[in-house]
Amino acid sequence: MGNINFNDENMKQDELSIEENLILVKEKVTSREDIIRKLGNMLLENGYVKDTYTQAVLDREIEYPTGLQARVTGVAIPHTDTEHVLKPAVAIATLDSPVIFNGMGMPDTEVEVDIILMLAIHDPKLVVSTLRKVIFILEDDEALKKMRFAKSKLEIKSIMFNHIRSLANK
Amino acid sequence: MYKVKIVVVCGSGVAMAMHAAYKLREYLEKEKLYAHIDGCGNNELPGKISAYDIVVSNAQVTVKTDKPIFSAIPLITGVGEKELVEKIIVKVREIQEEKSNK
Repeated sequence: MGNINFNDENMKQDELSIEENLILVKEKVTSREDIIRKLGNMLLENGYVKDTYTQAVLDREIEYPTGLQARVTGVAIPHTDTEHVLKPAVAIATLDSPVIFNGMGMPDTEVEVDIILMLAIHDPKLVVSTLRKVIFILEDDEALKKMRFAKSKLEIKSIMFNHIRSLANK
Repeated sequence: MYKVKIVVVCGSGVAMAMHAAYKLREYLEKEKLYAHIDGCGNNELPGKISAYDIVVSNAQVTVKTDKPIFSAIPLITGVGEKELVEKIIVKVREIQEEKSNK
């Protein structure tokens, strides 16, 4: 762990993409595999990951599940090793109805997830500042509530950006 | 004064260990506790665990050890975080005192 200043207000120091073409709204899916494949394809089509990424995320999810029970709702943060990633991004999905992810650190537990933040990270140190702010949304009850009910990609992107900005101004 | 060594573990060490480690460091520094905190992936833990006093992990720890192990999940979700941090602080103080008097 180096001495990285994660309070740095300059968000342009890294290029963690959070874009509308990486967002799905109230998506209808039948399983966690279904939504991981959909988000994986979006990341692949937009040039953020290699074609090995999605399968690697699915495999990792079995060994190290990523379902997290936040106060407001269940959130999953599927991701995988850096070698499958070309450019850093966060793909976001909200679900029409929840799917089951197993609990991070507690593979025997089940979490009903309706927000997915799929991380494509090629070098954690380069994006740590923004990535940490993204993860902090798990503790931002208002932002999560708004995100669940958001009706458009733009709305979801704005909610995430406002959340990130609120931390930068702290 | 002995500096307590903590390792924060996640599945692959990609991101979440780093996030949890930063938060933990902030909490400890507020208590004027200056621990040495590293992050690592779960597969590296068996080779590294002997160098540390405390393990904080968001993966299931399968390595056999008598060292204190805490869950890192509350540091990620914020749920139960206060209680977790209090327990870790007690343990850090305990180890600091024990090892400084040696």
